[in-house]
Amino acid sequence: MVEVTDVVCSLCGCVCDDITVEVEDNKVTKVKKGACSVGKSKIMGHNRIKSPAIRVNGELKDCSYDEAIKKAAEILAASRRPLLYGWSSTVCEADKVGVELAEELGAVIDNTASVCHGPSVLAIQDVGLPSCTLGEVKNRADLIIYWGANPAEAHANHMKRYSYVSKGFWTEEGKKAKKLVIVDVRATKTSKMADVFLQLEQGKDYLVFSALRAILYGHEEVVPDEVGGVSKKDLLETAEMMKGAKFGATFFGMGVTHTGARQNNIVNAIQMTRAAHTHTKFTITPMRGHYNVAGINQVCTWETGFPFAVDLTRGYAWYNPGELSATDLLIRQECDAALIIASDPGAHFPGESIKHLAKIPVIQIDPFPNPTTEFADVVFPVAVSGVEAEGNVYRMDNIPIRLRKLIDSEYPEDEEILKRILDEVRAIKEKEDK
Amino acid sequence: MAEVLIRNGVVYDPLNGVKGEKKDICIRDGKVVESVKNPKVIDAEGRVVMPGGVDIHSHIAGGKVNSGRLFRPEDGRKGLEAKTKVCRMQSGYSVPNTFAIGYRYAKMGYTFVMEAAMPPLAARHTHEEMVDIPILDNAALPLIDNNWMTMEYVNSGDMDLLAAYVAWIMKATKGFGVKIVNPGGTEMWGWGKNCSLNDTVPTFDVTPAEIIKGLGVANEKLDMPHSIHVHTNMLGHPGNFEITKETYDLVKGIKTSKDRQVMHTTHTQFHSYGGTNWGDFESKADAIAGYINQNDHATIDIGSIILGDTTTMTADGPMEYNLYQITGRKWTNHDVELETGSGITPFLYSGKSPVNTIQWAIGVELALLVKDPWKIALTTDHPNAGPFIGYPILISMLMSKKRREESSADMHKVIYDRALLPSIDREYDLNEIAIITRGMTAKALGLHEHGKGHLGVGADGDVAIYDMSPEETDAGKIQKAFLNTKYTIKDGQVVVKDGEVVATPDGKTYFVTPECDDKLTDEMMVKLKDKFDHYYSVTYNNYAVQDAYVPNPYEIKTQMRG
Amino acid sequence: MQTIKLKIKDNVTSGVAKIPVEVDSLTPDNLVGKSEAEIKAVKVWWGNKEESTGDLFDVSVDGTAGSADEVKIVLDGDLSRVKRIGDGMTAGEIEANSNVDMHCGAMMSGGKITVKGNADCWAGREMHGGELVIEGDAAANLCAMYRGEDKGMTGGKVTVGGNADECVGQYMAGGEIVIKGNARMLAGLNMSGGKIVIGGDAVMPGADMTKGEITVKGTVQDMMPSFKLEGTESIDGAEYKKYSGDLAMTARKAKGTLYVK
Repeated sequence: MVEVTDVVCSLCGCVCDDITVEVEDNKVTKVKKGACSVGKSKIMGHNRIKSPAIRVNGELKDCSYDEAIKKAAEILAASRRPLLYGWSSTVCEADKVGVELAEELGAVIDNTASVCHGPSVLAIQDVGLPSCTLGEVKNRADLIIYWGANPAEAHANHMKRYSYVSKGFWTEEGKKAKKLVIVDVRATKTSKMADVFLQLEQGKDYLVFSALRAILYGHEEVVPDEVGGVSKKDLLETAEMMKGAKFGATFFGMGVTHTGARQNNIVNAIQMTRAAHTHTKFTITPMRGHYNVAGINQVCTWETGFPFAVDLTRGYAWYNPGELSATDLLIRQECDAALIIASDPGAHFPGESIKHLAKIPVIQIDPFPNPTTEFADVVFPVAVSGVEAEGNVYRMDNIPIRLRKLIDSEYPEDEEILKRILDEVRAIKEKEDK
Repeated sequence: MAEVLIRNGVVYDPLNGVKGEKKDICIRDGKVVESVKNPKVIDAEGRVVMPGGVDIHSHIAGGKVNSGRLFRPEDGRKGLEAKTKVCRMQSGYSVPNTFAIGYRYAKMGYTFVMEAAMPPLAARHTHEEMVDIPILDNAALPLIDNNWMTMEYVNSGDMDLLAAYVAWIMKATKGFGVKIVNPGGTEMWGWGKNCSLNDTVPTFDVTPAEIIKGLGVANEKLDMPHSIHVHTNMLGHPGNFEITKETYDLVKGIKTSKDRQVMHTTHTQFHSYGGTNWGDFESKADAIAGYINQNDHATIDIGSIILGDTTTMTADGPMEYNLYQITGRKWTNHDVELETGSGITPFLYSGKSPVNTIQWAIGVELALLVKDPWKIALTTDHPNAGPFIGYPILISMLMSKKRREESSADMHKVIYDRALLPSIDREYDLNEIAIITRGMTAKALGLHEHGKGHLGVGADGDVAIYDMSPEETDAGKIQKAFLNTKYTIKDGQVVVKDGEVVATPDGKTYFVTPECDDKLTDEMMVKLKDKFDHYYSVTYNNYAVQDAYVPNPYEIKTQMRG
Repeated sequence: MQTIKLKIKDNVTSGVAKIPVEVDSLTPDNLVGKSEAEIKAVKVWWGNKEESTGDLFDVSVDGTAGSADEVKIVLDGDLSRVKRIGDGMTAGEIEANSNVDMHCGAMMSGGKITVKGNADCWAGREMHGGELVIEGDAAANLCAMYRGEDKGMTGGKVTVGGNADECVGQYMAGGEIVIKGNARMLAGLNMSGGKIVIGGDAVMPGADMTKGEITVKGTVQDMMPSFKLEGTESIDGAEYKKYSGDLAMTARKAKGTLYVK
């Protein structure tokens, strides 16, 4: 038995990197410390796709990787509007091959930010993001605000590693010397811990942000007595709390990215941070979901110029979320083939888009069977990044960390499968050009 | 590998005293050699030939560069170019994608670019992007001045332990040299504050002046190829030229381990400001140039303005905040725990603005007023003062007074009152241009000893052939020639021909590994590990850049001196 | 006067996948002076392949034109997957006889486009001049900016006969937009000039505006809490409340005007 320390979790955007596991006979037998329950479950592993397969007459039939590669490449090379989607639960090295494949095919490449923090990216493109690394929050912040987020359940280690419960250089007393503000439409496991819980009406976040901005800029006289279900008194008190902090850190989640004004909610949250910043140090950070969605955004940006929803049909990038996100394309029935990797649209996408996905040829690359496997036409099982494969990922605050390989696996890595598909696509196109 | 013979070129190789001589250049297996037997012959037909360009300071790779791209899709959609059989897709103007950076620099005849500022905690990101920049050899300067370890050792006066820490950072980040940006000020920005050269940073109880001196001493103890590389305090503030001069004086007494400057200050245009506010703001390029002329221990790069809309990005968090407050445009900030920070905001330099006009003049004035070209380098602090694609504009202005007069006439009238440019007659010749774009920069970086910046035997076979005759005086033709080479050759391979990229080999990443006494390192480690145990949000064992991130390494080893 | 009729062929619209055709190369500016054969040879993007116009459209040409402003293009058939109609045009006329896909009239600076149906997202994006008439509804981001820009529409006139979806005229800096029906949330978001008139209802109009003028003739849902009531004003015989805003941008910048009935 070998004890391995400093293991990096490959589940959520926290990317906890101080996990200790036990490895015996090429298996992870125990997660000793550091991981939350969800992370533990990922590291310990579960039901796997056993073999590559091609769907014949409605049934998935096992085949070799070579046969599956050939079939996948044929589908993609013949496609007029292929969609390459997912990328958020694999490593940057694989993402790079994905971008190259999309460029070769003239495809649309998109990632899970489209259904997650895409609105946050749009907001950043509007007003920027005054932020910091998670260690800064740990060491300095005395006011923590979670808006539309429930970390106690969605990012279980967040508060104890990075924000409210954590102890740092100027925050040695931990939560005793900090204030926690939760803003949400309903009480949650996290709101029960709060010093202040602002319960607002569904879809009214936008109004509350604008009201706080007006107050922070000294124009409280125009603000009505109640905004979005929150009293003006509570708003004034919250503003005073923000002004009086030494360092305020706001974290926001799907509660604001996917309701009401969506990306404009986030613009408004960032504008609120900029208004607070005229009084004291204030930062704002999105609670990213998948462990490497930040990574595919980074890779896509430095290679194509843009972070997601990128159309490469003309050989250069045309970027336009709302037109080119996977859900847009599928609801509009635009694509004629799709490659789904390191994500699960079958589980997460609106029903309308799944209907179309089920009609077109779909290639799936994933270690685990999931709802997408139910209608995939070519399936590639691969190694689990962070357990069976190493590689680079970006944490929710964009710090790059390298996943470790803990055990050997017979499954190929994502990068290898993508490279082989790319080579085969190039061979097909070369033959066609002759 | 192949042999190449470049004949009939008029060669400018200032490090070897070659100032426009008709000369053959022979290359075998990627290196310059005395003679070749069976070469591919490139006839330069009387054109200007120089070693590949060496850019001493440019923001090309890493977290803030990519943040700049991510939040400016409107810049990304300028400069879109479809992929070709040879090239990947391109995007961007002030924040080009990685492929465009490689191709556009190579087309200007550059073969080496220094990434100006790498936050150590995110060094992996810088390396990931550098690997994706085609053709160019590269290196990066880790930011060390606002690091808590640095400030604590400066406070206690333990220069040997400071050197041990600097050595550790250099190894852990696969970095090239010591980068200093607004020392003390970026730590204070962690609380939304800033400071100047002689203010005391609370908690750490050190002044920026002490930090600069301490790192200057540590740098020399480690026998680093490059000097400390400094973005001085109070960037962009009217009147800051005094701080700049005082900063030079700080390090005057430090003895260097090598035959080079003690300190290189960067984008010095932004630090040569007179006046007391934006109303009476004026150029103090003469004061700074005067200092550089009278002293031999400092070098500068100009950071000269290119008119137009660009993206500012530096580790000077408070300065970026001020800029955003002035313009009201979008602003991204990213403080990095225990180490540094960054700010990014777009900015438009306009010929209609009196302030921008004076700024525009200052960069060129510095180059014209510093007498010895071996003390000065041509940069735009890409993209802060402007995109690197503007270098040919600056070259044409330095070489042609007529071009300067024409351009000045399009600027705000204030240029005739509060700038010096209209009164300067000097014109650079090609030898001087070669010095400030490759000879001086290679030497200041210590890379001339590693094959860069010259074409003597043993040098890298990196050559630029510009499509102009040495006698050319027309500024427009000079500018055109320096934008797209007739040939760019990298390690003996033709990568650009007739202004088009024809090959995209991978570049090498240069980094320095300073070796220290084990006992010293062990002592330093106790303090460092404590930081990881309590304050960092990543573990010690996950911090250092793994070898996988640098697939084409060029390692320079040094030894700590007594 | 030259009339060019383009009717989209059935095979383009009848597949399992409804892949859009992008017709940015089929503007009066680009087609003026071309023969029928030449027009058929003009390339358009259909997914990741460039096709000849004649392979995707039935083409017929009537009359001649000396300049673009004498050219009229009539588009027939199911245009719901035809993108970029009139992209960047400077003169002439385009008539589209069905619903149209995204970016109709984007970056146009002159001429006139009439859509006899609904227009999908980003109709009139970054318009500089000319006229765009949408007889049906307009989807989100009518006359809005491109992502990241702080200026969108700068001139021209747009009329929508039906309703408009979110973010009408975001970052508008000039020009005029008239919506006969309702506007969904955030009409005039980030406006810094120009004029928007909404015949029906609006939700959170004028957020973050710094200049320009918005008039809402119906009811406002979720009035912004950061606007200041200045008084009342009579417009065309009706009484309107006059607000200045948006003070969330600070009072110094809040020079926008919002009229609400």
